Amino acid sequence: MSHFTNKRQNLITFLLLSPGLAGFFGLFFYPMLVTLFRSLRPEGQTSGWTLGNYAAFLSDPDFRGIIWLTFFLAITSTFLSILLSVPLALLLRRKPVGHRLFRLTILVPITVPGLIGALGLLLFWGSRGWFNLLLLQVFRLKAPLTINYTLTGLVIFYVWHYFSYTAITTLSTLEGLDPAFEEAARVAGATPWQVLRYIVIPLIMPGILSGSVLTFMAAFGAFSIPLITGGNYRPLSVAIYKQIGIFIPARWSAASAMAMIMAALQVVFLIFYMRILRRPMA
Amino acid sequence: MDDNMIELRNVTKRYGPIVANANVNLSVRRGELMTLLGPSGCGKTTALRCITGQVTPDEGRVFIDGVDVTDVPTHKRELGMVFQNFALFPHMTVYENVEFPLMIRRVPQGQRREMVMDALRLIRMESYAQHYPRQLSGGQQQRVGLARALVYHPKVLLLDEPLSNLDAKLREEMRFEIRDLISRLGITALYVTHDQAEALALSDRVAVMNAGRIEQVGTPDEIYESPRSRFVADFIGLSNFIRGKVLAIERGMAIVAVNHIKLMVPAAEGTQVGQDILVFIRPNDVRLFPVDFAKAENTFEGVVHKLTYLGDTIDYRVIVAEGVQIRVQTDGKVRFNAGEAVKVCLPEARCRVILE
Ligand SMILES: Nc1ncnc2c1ncn2[C@@H]1O[C@H](COP(=O)(O)OP(=O)(O)O)[C@@H](O)[C@H]1O
Ligand SMILES: [Mg+2]
Repeated sequence: MSHFTNKRQNLITFLLLSPGLAGFFGLFFYPMLVTLFRSLRPEGQTSGWTLGNYAAFLSDPDFRGIIWLTFFLAITSTFLSILLSVPLALLLRRKPVGHRLFRLTILVPITVPGLIGALGLLLFWGSRGWFNLLLLQVFRLKAPLTINYTLTGLVIFYVWHYFSYTAITTLSTLEGLDPAFEEAARVAGATPWQVLRYIVIPLIMPGILSGSVLTFMAAFGAFSIPLITGGNYRPLSVAIYKQIGIFIPARWSAASAMAMIMAALQVVFLIFYMRILRRPMA
Repeated sequence: MDDNMIELRNVTKRYGPIVANANVNLSVRRGELMTLLGPSGCGKTTALRCITGQVTPDEGRVFIDGVDVTDVPTHKRELGMVFQNFALFPHMTVYENVEFPLMIRRVPQGQRREMVMDALRLIRMESYAQHYPRQLSGGQQQRVGLARALVYHPKVLLLDEPLSNLDAKLREEMRFEIRDLISRLGITALYVTHDQAEALALSDRVAVMNAGRIEQVGTPDEIYESPRSRFVADFIGLSNFIRGKVLAIERGMAIVAVNHIKLMVPAAEGTQVGQDILVFIRPNDVRLFPVDFAKAENTFEGVVHKLTYLGDTIDYRVIVAEGVQIRVQTDGKVRFNAGEAVKVCLPEARCRVILE
């Protein structure tokens, strides 16, 4: 009897859920499937199969440069985000005056739309922006520094835009850390620096890594920042956009093939990262 | 060179309006095991943190081995400490945890290994060297905590409620293990606890703390037998407090009037005629006799009001005079029933005057 009711209930639950599930998976997989099919069609056609789009991109003389730039930007900005986040988190944990405002400020880059952020950054770092005004007026430099449209500038913008993920995760991991470990280490004779090196950093490493994987993925797929502020530096997402936005007629199949390659790279990287994360804590 | 290994001199520490330590004076002698006993929130951990240097007192000085360390940073104080929640480093094995203080001190590899293994042997954990803390039981973790605190032969061992997170049976076993270990090593130890049985069983001397103040320091025997305040008496065990007035003092004995009854009690230092005081006696020091019992010292007629059977003891509430109820605990050999008339004897030598 109860067995019967159970089955019945399961069926009803399933029926009630199915429109939602269908919608969910549809929205999730449909665009991916379309892109996959598109990438396998000859350009401008709706039938026939080809690997030509992949071959074309992989043999493109620009291919290596694009991939290298994309990885360079993502890895550098992730690395710098970690370097920035750890001291920031250590500072904020002590709840100095104004720490609440600071916490909110960390969130600004991910709440500001990329486009607005990009324009703001160009203005701030421009030859007449506040940064150069500071250098010229306060530090008495002779000429303004060129930041916009340089690789250095692009890295700075990436860090500004994507470090929040790392900072927030690092901070929350650090604040969840039982201070008893640090106390025990201090009493055992460790200097503050040794406590940081041997106790705090290893213990918050999982938090740093899981935050930085978000920064990495976001930076890898960055679009509006490099589109607007990248100048001649065009990472993968901008290169894909070029296929559609510049060529007439738009090269949908080429763009799709590049998007599939990008997705594959991201998945490979993610698996690699998960491996590191799951490694038993050293 | 004085004989105190640890000394807090007039230490006061405030947290905003809370006075965690109020003019605390505490000396732990070389080689002594002292417990700091008091209810939760009375300032024990704060006092300990003044010794480790994690808290800087607002007033007063801290001395370790005769040296004023008030301004010396924690890591230079050469202390060993055991924590209530063990605080073993979760990312290190048992071996690495115990090795940590030696690694920090750059002890050469060969000697280091020997010292770690010695410490592990001390607590019978050498076969767990490669385990991680989360793979150990609470008792095992705390033993590793002890090894980590002792491995570099610190001057002083501090223990902050080390057994509070263990279950009752284990707590009792480990109590004696810690006691043995400390006396075998001859190390000076300050042991913080809120468990009075633990304090009495372990220590050479007990310091009882209440609301940021040290109320009394003495051997377990002194603290139990001759508490100087109502708080100490109450905290250490069961107590009767009988309010009365000192009528006279003769040859060291105070004659105390309680309603129409007169009690003879050894006078405490500072007792004055006419003073309102408390007479204190432990329930198991009070004797009960049949009502026809011949008169003896401090013996009064009373009526059994209530009794509770506790197994090896029986707990009586006896009313001896209007408003004066005395709690008595006897073994079960002689029994009285509720409502029965009895004689209650408060042996003079077991009574104490407590000045309020
Ligand atoms: N860091 C702190 N900030 C504010 N109040 C504190 C702090 N540490 C302790 N206190 C307060 O000081 C008092 C004594 O605390 P503590 O020394 O931890 O007591 P115990 O160890 O005896 O339980 C308590 O009222 C506690 O709330
Ligand atoms: Mg405490």
